[in-house]
Amino acid sequence: MQTILAVDRLTKRFGGLIAVDDVSFELLEGEILGLIGPNGAGKTTVVSLISGTITPSTGKVLFQGAPIAHLPAFRRSRLGIGRTFQLMKPFPGLNVLDNVAVGALFGTGGGKSQLREAREDAAKWLAFVGLGHRERQRADELGGPDRKRLELAKALAMNPRLLLLDEVMAGLHHGEIDEVVSVIRKVQSRGITVLLIEHVMKAIQSLSDRVLVLHHGTKIAEGAPQAVLNDPKVVDAYLGTRRV
Amino acid sequence: MMRPIGSIAFVAMLLALVLVPWLSPPALIQFGTTTLLLATLAQSWNIIGGYTGYASFGNSVFYGIGGYGTAIAMVQFGLPFGVGILVGAVLAVIFALLLGLPVLRLRGHYFAIATLALAEAMTGVVSNLDIAGRNIGLVLPLRKGDAFFYELSLGLLALATLTVFWISRSRFGFGLIAIREDEDAAGVMGVNTTLYKALAFLLAGFFSALAGGIHAYWITFIDPLSAFDITLNVMMIIMAIFGGAGTVFGPLVGAILLASISELLATEITGMASLFFGLVIVVAVVFMPRGLTDLTRRFPGLGWRYFRENLRLHRL
Repeated sequence: MQTILAVDRLTKRFGGLIAVDDVSFELLEGEILGLIGPNGAGKTTVVSLISGTITPSTGKVLFQGAPIAHLPAFRRSRLGIGRTFQLMKPFPGLNVLDNVAVGALFGTGGGKSQLREAREDAAKWLAFVGLGHRERQRADELGGPDRKRLELAKALAMNPRLLLLDEVMAGLHHGEIDEVVSVIRKVQSRGITVLLIEHVMKAIQSLSDRVLVLHHGTKIAEGAPQAVLNDPKVVDAYLGTRRV
Repeated sequence: MMRPIGSIAFVAMLLALVLVPWLSPPALIQFGTTTLLLATLAQSWNIIGGYTGYASFGNSVFYGIGGYGTAIAMVQFGLPFGVGILVGAVLAVIFALLLGLPVLRLRGHYFAIATLALAEAMTGVVSNLDIAGRNIGLVLPLRKGDAFFYELSLGLLALATLTVFWISRSRFGFGLIAIREDEDAAGVMGVNTTLYKALAFLLAGFFSALAGGIHAYWITFIDPLSAFDITLNVMMIIMAIFGGAGTVFGPLVGAILLASISELLATEITGMASLFFGLVIVVAVVFMPRGLTDLTRRFPGLGWRYFRENLRLHRL
């Protein structure tokens, strides 16, 4: 398998705070990499550095072999990097269909040029994530779980090669999590590479080919899901060290 | 969205408007011309303020530049009006690009304040330019016949409205709306936000400048204070929002209605006119913050509930 994304010694400082500290990893074409870590570990910052909403202090990001760390976000999305936002960012004044149509109109390679085609595409992706019946509703009228689905549909409509999913399952109940898990499986079967930030361990275990753990901005473990989750360092990071 | 009935009504209205100069007294033609120019300004503001979400207080500057470009070309260089107005428009477009690239990096209130300062700055600059007649201004050659200016203004408004109609259903327009709704998300989804904002600003400047050129030639006089009058900018914003910012016909409806109300009040109760005009605007903004066109969108089933909901939204 080929490397689609290579993150090389990436560091991001916000003033005195080092949010991401010298992190390196690679993503292989078609795999799902789980990115986990306690709150504040720097997971979302990593996603933002890859998608381009912020630029790194030092370090490199290579997408399909080309350096992208200093490209503006829209260029990266046209290369094929799609993301969702943990704090969902639907376009509130647009209806659900048109929210997704924006992704189809822009996105990878510049997207569709005709609104009609984009809307047809959007309808397809809404059905894909199970939101087909909400097309005409305004995006700000959707409840939490449906907003998560909308985020996913918007990112998918961009037709990305690499999809960065930032906690798309947070706040969902068991049945809904299972649905999203199966949607992500379908996404992977289309050949899309996925970087999955998630706190829902059940989902991480069942979906991830590999798992990477961040703690205080540094990488503390990487490997097969079972091995990583049983790693004492990871257990410590999540539960703290036992004091006797 | 344009349904068949909608387009028939639109064409009929346009036809009626075209015929106005042949059927009505001069006073109405003059009122019509002013209103059409105001509607054009409201429609131009709609592109940057309504669709892109950048509340520009600098659009009256484009209007002034358009007027001055026309005046300077005609008076100082003896060029015909057709060339003059193009000079004004080109100047405004260049100005929009030079200015837009830095200023459009500011968001929200900061953008509004930065553009607000422009009008003042331009008054100062133009008052000191010999070619622009310093603070005395310029007198343009006279052209008789209000009908000419009326039809010209109507043509310009139609052009601006067609442009906005195209925007409302194009990839470009969706990019603008995405920027308005959430600029970061728009960028991540592949919208070249810098370019799109600059283009929207430029389009707004282009149409405002053409309106300014027509106005200067019609009035045959231009001076710094009236050319860069900030109240004009306030007017276009109020008209666009009153009718419905970010819609195709909202700014038109808003401009025509408000201009008519203001004219009626001014003739009926001269002294208190501006007070009542202010009252109309306050009531409109409180009860229908999304403008008049939002009422028609919900027309079947529109009731008191709609207004009550808006009241609650304001926490009044």
